[in-house]
Amino acid sequence: MRLGIVRGSVTLSPAVPELLGLTLVVLEPVTMANLRAKNGLGGGKSMIAVDALGAAKGQMVAFTEGSEAANPFWPKRVPIDAYCTLIVDTVTTSSQTIAK
Amino acid sequence: MFLARIDGTVVSAAKHATLEGCRFLVAQRLEADGSTGTEPLVVIDWMGAALNSTVLVSTDGDISRQRFGNTTPGRLVVVGIVDPMQTAGGAA
Repeated sequence: MRLGIVRGSVTLSPAVPELLGLTLVVLEPVTMANLRAKNGLGGGKSMIAVDALGAAKGQMVAFTEGSEAANPFWPKRVPIDAYCTLIVDTVTTSSQTIAK
Repeated sequence: MFLARIDGTVVSAAKHATLEGCRFLVAQRLEADGSTGTEPLVVIDWMGAALNSTVLVSTDGDISRQRFGNTTPGRLVVVGIVDPMQTAGGAA
């Protein structure tokens, strides 16, 4: 799972039936430098994920990528590859600097 | 699978129901030259990896499906801790 900050949401009309009723959020992945700086910035390439937890704008989530993202809908098959697995309350990182 | 260094912890109240009670750690992927990836990864750990330890992370969700059921979105799992004797002198 990577970490991302919720920046907004997406509404589809029309959409394939498998996606109807799902909440799609815009995520900005967080880089290690921004996570350590705790500056509220992301820094990664923004992407869309399915959110079933009700994450609010500005909240940090951890999202699963790949085919495992569709597991929560098993045995239904849904065409998704990113899923918000948890909402981050606190994250701690050691004070080591990032080795380049 | 890849090696990663444990860098911190994640606390979460709202999470997928299958992952209730799991331990989530922040890990940084290690490259062959000892450098780390730019983005942190959140991994599931039940081996008890310590801060700054080097672990083997599997990207296959099968092991979490076995443990947490077919509907779990868990994917990155700590499947082993690299022997500290091995990492002490090396780049990792």
